[in-house]
Amino acid sequence: MRHRRALELPFQESTSVPGSAPGPGDLLRPISGRAAVSTRAPAELWLAVHLEESPSQPGRQDLERLGARAQRLTPRISLDPPDGLLLEVKGSRHLFGGVEGLIREMAGECSRLRMACSLAIAPTPLAASALARAGRMAAAPASLLIVTDPAQLIGRLSPLPLAALRWPQDTVDRLARIGVRTIGEALRLPRAGFARRFGTAQLLALDRLTGRASDLKDRFEVRARFRRRRELIYELESHAALLAVLEPLLEELGRFLEARQCGVLTLECRLQHRAVAPTRCVLRLAAPLADPRQLAALLAERLNALVLPEPVRGCELRSGPLVSRVLSSAGLWQPGEQGGGAAAQAPELIERLRARLGAEAVYGLRLVEDHRPEAGWRIREPVITASAVQSGLQNDPVRNALTKSQERFWTADAGPKGLGAGTKPSNPSLEGFPGRLSSRERVSGGGSPSWRSASGQDHFAIRSEGDNPGPWDRRPLWLLSAPRLLNERDGLPRRRGPLRLLCEGERVETGWWDGGELARDYYRAVDVRGARLWVFREREPPHRWFLHGVFG
Amino acid sequence: MTPDAPYAELHCLTNFTFLRGASHPHELVGQAVELGYEALAITDECSVAGVVRAHVAAKGQQLKLIIGSELRLTCGLKLVALATNRRGYGRLCRLITRGRRAAAKGGYSLTRADLEENGLEHCLILWLPGKARGTTLGPQGHEFEPPDPEEARWLEEHFRGRLWIAVELLRDGMDRGHLETLQRIGRDLTLPLVASGDVHMHIRARRRLQDAVTAIRHNVPIAQAGWRLYPNGERYLRERERLAKLYPRELLEETVAVARRCAFSLEELRYEYPHELVPEGETPASHLRKLTEAGAHWRWPQGVPPGERAAIEHELELIADLRYEPYFLTVHDIVAFARSKGILCQGRGSAANSRVCYCLGVTSVDPLRGASLLFERFISRERNEPPDIDVDFEHERREEVIQYVYDKYGRERAAIAATVIMYRPKSALRDLGKIFGLDPTECTRLTKVMQWWDGGDAMRERLREAGFDPDGPMLARLLPLAQELIAFPGFPRHLSQHVGGFVISEGALEELVPIENATMEGRTVVQWDKDDLNDLGLLKVDLLALGMLTALRKSFDLVNDFRGTHHALGSLPAEAAEVYEMISRADTIGVFQIESRAQMAMLPRLQPRCYYDLVIEIAIVRPGPIQGDMVHPYLKRRKSGEPVRYPSREVAGVLQRTLGVPIFQEQVMQLAIAAAGFTPGEADALRRAMGAWKRSGGIEHFREKLIGGMRARGYAEEFAQRLYQQMLGFGEYGFPESHSASFALLAYDSAWLKCHEPAAFAAALLNSQPMGFYAPAQLVRDARAHGVEVRPVDVCVSVWDCTLERRDDEEPVLRLGLRLVKSLTRNGADRLIAARREQAFDSVQDLAARAALDRGDLEALAAAGAFAALSGNRHLAFWEVAGTERPLPLEAALVDAPHEEIHEPTPLLRTPTEGERIVADYASIGLTLGRHPLALLRESLQSNRLLTARDLDGMAHGKPVRTAGIVLMRQRPGTASGVTFLTLEDETGQVNIIVWERIGEEYRRPLVESRLLEVHGELQRQEGVMHVVAHRLIDRSRLLGELITRSRDFH
Repeated sequence: MRHRRALELPFQESTSVPGSAPGPGDLLRPISGRAAVSTRAPAELWLAVHLEESPSQPGRQDLERLGARAQRLTPRISLDPPDGLLLEVKGSRHLFGGVEGLIREMAGECSRLRMACSLAIAPTPLAASALARAGRMAAAPASLLIVTDPAQLIGRLSPLPLAALRWPQDTVDRLARIGVRTIGEALRLPRAGFARRFGTAQLLALDRLTGRASDLKDRFEVRARFRRRRELIYELESHAALLAVLEPLLEELGRFLEARQCGVLTLECRLQHRAVAPTRCVLRLAAPLADPRQLAALLAERLNALVLPEPVRGCELRSGPLVSRVLSSAGLWQPGEQGGGAAAQAPELIERLRARLGAEAVYGLRLVEDHRPEAGWRIREPVITASAVQSGLQNDPVRNALTKSQERFWTADAGPKGLGAGTKPSNPSLEGFPGRLSSRERVSGGGSPSWRSASGQDHFAIRSEGDNPGPWDRRPLWLLSAPRLLNERDGLPRRRGPLRLLCEGERVETGWWDGGELARDYYRAVDVRGARLWVFREREPPHRWFLHGVFG
Repeated sequence: MTPDAPYAELHCLTNFTFLRGASHPHELVGQAVELGYEALAITDECSVAGVVRAHVAAKGQQLKLIIGSELRLTCGLKLVALATNRRGYGRLCRLITRGRRAAAKGGYSLTRADLEENGLEHCLILWLPGKARGTTLGPQGHEFEPPDPEEARWLEEHFRGRLWIAVELLRDGMDRGHLETLQRIGRDLTLPLVASGDVHMHIRARRRLQDAVTAIRHNVPIAQAGWRLYPNGERYLRERERLAKLYPRELLEETVAVARRCAFSLEELRYEYPHELVPEGETPASHLRKLTEAGAHWRWPQGVPPGERAAIEHELELIADLRYEPYFLTVHDIVAFARSKGILCQGRGSAANSRVCYCLGVTSVDPLRGASLLFERFISRERNEPPDIDVDFEHERREEVIQYVYDKYGRERAAIAATVIMYRPKSALRDLGKIFGLDPTECTRLTKVMQWWDGGDAMRERLREAGFDPDGPMLARLLPLAQELIAFPGFPRHLSQHVGGFVISEGALEELVPIENATMEGRTVVQWDKDDLNDLGLLKVDLLALGMLTALRKSFDLVNDFRGTHHALGSLPAEAAEVYEMISRADTIGVFQIESRAQMAMLPRLQPRCYYDLVIEIAIVRPGPIQGDMVHPYLKRRKSGEPVRYPSREVAGVLQRTLGVPIFQEQVMQLAIAAAGFTPGEADALRRAMGAWKRSGGIEHFREKLIGGMRARGYAEEFAQRLYQQMLGFGEYGFPESHSASFALLAYDSAWLKCHEPAAFAAALLNSQPMGFYAPAQLVRDARAHGVEVRPVDVCVSVWDCTLERRDDEEPVLRLGLRLVKSLTRNGADRLIAARREQAFDSVQDLAARAALDRGDLEALAAAGAFAALSGNRHLAFWEVAGTERPLPLEAALVDAPHEEIHEPTPLLRTPTEGERIVADYASIGLTLGRHPLALLRESLQSNRLLTARDLDGMAHGKPVRTAGIVLMRQRPGTASGVTFLTLEDETGQVNIIVWERIGEEYRRPLVESRLLEVHGELQRQEGVMHVVAHRLIDRSRLLGELITRSRDFH
């Protein structure tokens, strides 16, 4: 055939004949081009960790955890996502008893984290990870996965399948079509022809694999968290003094966060005692925060609520993961609407409430599309940052369907005495309700256009007063956490006397798909004292009556 | 207690409002009768697809059926329109057509302007107030949209005097307020109120199914369907007592008043055939006579035989009596068009086997060819249903015929009948799995396990095997719903287009039945299917696609070209003994109709020796005769040759030609006439009842008449009973002689070609793929087994199609064509052939440059090994192809831009192994000219003591054997009571395997999943047919490695 010349030199000879046996003095001889082939001691030595597939695909976090642990073996670590870690160990191997010792140490770290992995060592990072992956594929004996002599590298790599290089499947397929299935076969192809057909990127990869080209890796650094401890030489009992002691720590935290342009979402304060376990006090924040004064104020609220079992002998601040700060959070709260200032104060208010009432006591509600009253709503975090509100409104069709006034938050312990000092029950019918709603009875907002503020005032959105009652007039704001069985006489429900049924029934028959099937006829009812209740009768025998909610 | 108020339901959806209604039309009708409703309106959403079924169900019942439709305009206005008479029905159909044609398949779009333009004269209108009440949004949705009096005012303006406000009280807790609002609007506008029920199901127990199909429609998991579901199950046909408690009495009485104003019945639809086929100055009768005369002269150039002349007269008279001339003229016109374009076609069906059709060229069943008996029966005077002719065309060219029909009659007058797609086990489980939150892989697993499920309970083990808990809560909820979906007659899912049933009308078709868009661009379908059209006695012509006609035309072309002959359909030498010899050896791969494995098993037993034997052969291997237990008696009598005794001369007349055993569908009808005294019209009613008896029952009252009639005519009770049982078994599965007769002609012609011109026949089959039972690999292997030399695909020689090359000894050689090369584009192949015509290629680079082929086409050719002559083995071909320059845009290439030639060395690439070559052959062209893949594995198979197909040939009946082969086919005929038939292939031949149900259950996974299957079993022989009855199945697919085989699964 035409257009052919003599054979071009292939990549490298698969066997290399060293010109002169290198002595110990050659150790530092750099790898450069073909010279490296005849060098027995490598310039670098890479340990590759290949995490094996587990039920849960290893994520970046797993890699970072492992990377953090591996830092004691060498400072030069690179992540090789999604499932690899690379350690340059030439300098440090002697500290751990040679490469075998290093491998043992690394394997120990993996097993401590319950990660299955295969390990390999080679003079180039690509070669090491190829060996590690191939080792997993072939379940090769460990000794085969250690190549310290660059002269042996190509010979060791040659039989490996191309899949070990993790090239694009398309490239691997196309190489298979010309009969090339191993690394060795690929290395025997003419360079120019290979590059034209399979791309210069792949050629470079082969050169890096064999050390012909250098391979620079990004260095991995462990992400920081803030953790400071302060031992006291005296014992503290007063909350105010405690706060004074914490202040410098908080200042330090502020500087720490400032330097990183970050904030925290959780902050833990541990107070050490002489005999008992430390008291923990955890702040959970709705928005990333970095201002030490704000943090101090919030912490003060929490500490005030704490009962200390013993005097405090030391304290420690621990931050949660650092989060980049959202600089503005405007828009949702109109000035004055929320009993005060501008939008930026909303999160602060929630923090304050949570700090005072407990994190679980303040939550948001969202409507869930379900005809079953008890399944029609769900608790959600009262996250109110500009970005959260925006993305929430964009992504959540249910919430999109709601009017803005329904996107509010409720306090949970909003029973007659549920709110803190200074609030008074404002709803007369609740006062008149003869039963006792425990503080655990939850409010079913059900998306009612009404919300309750911390100041105890009820704000009702404008309600359509048309002929057609809206669904929220048929259903009460308050739902019992579980329907309560009612006595009956002559087939009619009673609760401290007969109940008067007010209107036509609302039939609900649904929910069969998740075991929560119900078939009920709901009615509004009034008891002898005038309290308005929401009751239902089962559609199936024995047709019992239940109380399910209370109208405001 | 006051007597229940009378009631007529005026707003009721069937499951033909797809994935919304949850009950069949006949269920709704039955329940309405049961509840004592005075009338029931079927008002599917912008559709009348379910009305014919309701009409049939309501016939003879004490229930008035009203035809209407629920419509939702784009502005949100919802209404129900009810037809009061034929004109009103026509307007409604026209409006539905408009809405449907304006939207993509399955949807519709109507505006107030459309309504104003149409006017809906002679229709009554019910306003459905509240924008979303009762549609896709849940009730919560509509509560923010209270009844809008503006809508009522607009309607009032346009439909004064025939407008009602529909009051639908569905116990959502707001009924009272709703009623009051509507009463006020009614007072303000002086509009009457009427009760209706927004019915979605016939009984409330369908609520789960209704929820499920709603979730399917919205494509959301049911747990997230939320307000898209109805809050309760009130949308059913409610007892009148309940209604009386809910509604003011006058609203209920008003329903009856409305119903009484509707006087339209589908019975009124009369049908006129197109007129334009009759030239000026002729009547349809005189024109048909002229055409028939001309045809008779063409068919019998020496003069029409006297008997035939009389028969033609008789037929023409009958046609004239029934005024069917336009129908015959329509078919003739279509066939004449096809003929003028050189498209092979052939008619079949009862009317097709008439002398008139023979003369018109619709069929070629020569009455003198031993089948004259057929012509006695085709149209009956009493039946009063249109004649039925199916015309088959070459499958690759049928579209030309269809476009001709559209052009000629216009889309207003011609449309294709619909096919109602019903839920099958697979689709039911897939859709339900999805809404129950199964991920796609679980869904696939479930449908795979259950693909042959018949709705019974026997699947628990299989489910467990596949990792499902049949008693778990999810399946406990899912399976009953699946059962409901697949229960006879099948829950409709959507409308699709019928394979080719055309409706052509004289007037505007859209006033007869709405027309909607089909998936395929430029296609429209009517909303009724074939059965519906039949039930109403409307005319349709089936224009069907038949692959064998394509293959025959291509065979004739190849042979005539190679040998200079003039073969054509029906002109091959008739009744050639060697052809029947070949057929009787079951050497029939590729032969029309008798190539399936069941047919091949029958051929050596039946030993066809003449045309009529083929007619029987084609009809006997069918579920009807097999279930009716007619095969064995027939073979026995045929073999023994002993005379058959008939109970009477009439019965002998019917059964003589099949030795006393009824084999054809028509024979059952004729027996009813001859032995039980049925009129032809009654006999046909019987046939249709049998076709539908599983669906709707109704065969019992024929039983009395049949058995009584036979008794009265002196037949023995036992004979009468047996005949009745045979009829039941036969049911709808009997194959009509009239179709078989036409098919047998094609079977003979294809067998003749296979026998005398195997190379041309194989080439034509390959060029007509996909068609038939066998893949190219088997066709080529069979051709080579018959001595045909086959040459590989070669870029230096091959053209698109497979061709014949002339060998030195003047024999034809089959050259494989580029069409077999997977992923090669037609355009690329055409450019290649054109470039080669200018100058032969001297290298891959030369070819790539001059043919301007892109990388994809080059790689496709390299994968096929088509570059062998230019570059050597596939590895080298791929190296060269990968090195070709990125192709320039086509124009640039044509300007002949000078391209630099690149000089580079050839690497030392490994030669592909034989295994790699075979894998590559299969992957690219689907067959190999090298060794069979199993030849490579034989050593390891032999060490497992597995026998080849040839080994088995020499073994005796009853021997235990082990064999293995590539699974070519899996068949599980619905009627074979759970038996699966497999065909395995190895390098020496094919083996047929029978897997009984119990074994199939036990070895389900290997049975369903294997590509290479090992079978242990017992060898059985019966009248020259050999098969292995399996006892154990083992999946050996792994041995095949990457070998890509394709099995064709039929079930």
